[in-house]
Amino acid sequence: MKLYLYGIIDSSNQTEESIYGLEGSGVYNIPYCDIGAVVSEISQPIQEVTAGSVLEHETVVEKLMANFTVLPVRFQTIIDGRDNLLSIMQSYYRDFKDNLERVSNKFEFGIKVIWSADKMKENIIKALNKEQQKKLEPASSSGKKFMKEKFEKYKIDKEFEAKADKLIKVMDIFFSKFAAEKKLTKLKTENLLLDAVYLVEKPQESNFREVFEHIKSARSDFKYLFSGPWPAYNFVVLSKKSSLLREPEQTNLFDKVTQSQTLVGVDII
Amino acid sequence: MIVPVHGRHITSVGFQAGKDKMNAVVVKSKEVTLLEILDRVLDKGVVISGDMVISVADVDLIYLGLKVLLSSVETIEKLKGSPFTSPM
Repeated sequence: MKLYLYGIIDSSNQTEESIYGLEGSGVYNIPYCDIGAVVSEISQPIQEVTAGSVLEHETVVEKLMANFTVLPVRFQTIIDGRDNLLSIMQSYYRDFKDNLERVSNKFEFGIKVIWSADKMKENIIKALNKEQQKKLEPASSSGKKFMKEKFEKYKIDKEFEAKADKLIKVMDIFFSKFAAEKKLTKLKTENLLLDAVYLVEKPQESNFREVFEHIKSARSDFKYLFSGPWPAYNFVVLSKKSSLLREPEQTNLFDKVTQSQTLVGVDII
Repeated sequence: MIVPVHGRHITSVGFQAGKDKMNAVVVKSKEVTLLEILDRVLDKGVVISGDMVISVADVDLIYLGLKVLLSSVETIEKLKGSPFTSPM
């Protein structure tokens, strides 16, 4: 019997409401000590990953989130039988327990801030040109001109980064007031000024939203995306790998193809 | 405005009223929401691997494909018009 694993919860009790997961199978909790692994039975690994199947997975996690602290498990984690699942639970128990305690009574929120990189750079160029008109003579030789252009580009890029750092720092000061943990990525693309996730205690949710509204009105020239509440997808940290487990061959492929993603989750401030 | 999709909330700014615009915003917001969900469900959370876990190798490739199609909020905005209407 194959078990599709949705998440680890801070309870060994069954869910009160009936939840149906992938393939329409009933979702249930397999207890281990005082925690549990929420699963449904599945006939075979999903051959075609669709938006629908991802949403079905997410819907189960979301329903669990309403009543439990949840460590969401990555999509399509399928365990070969109940005994194997219990071995995994035994092996990871301390890690699961620590993470459940850390994220207990907290939600994750995502914040993306988009600015116009072109417009920012235009403004920087204008400001630099004004300065240069005062200070510098025009370059006479082609060599000097080349060096001057290189230097100007460097100054623009440096100023662009500095502006981004400054803005993110200010925003983060406000958000951090009401967040327990955070992960920020600066300039994932030139226009994506900030891609951030914050872990917020449930009683602080309204304060956190209020701060977001405040920042949004203060810099209405930027565009914003606020999402949540989510379970703590970005804040689960497994400190040890189970001695029962080994890395499958395919994980390298993922590492290679998503190198650009490795910055996600790194606090760059 | 706040558009609920599967219980999630996506807040966009500077929404201008109007039925057609409203529909467009809802559709785009759903895409953005899906992107946010994909980003988490496929790329974050607890990863368990090993002999006891049956996994489908192609998932990583599918994820890559999805990332190419829905590479970023910024791309969605450029390709389809912004779900946000604040001036730049």
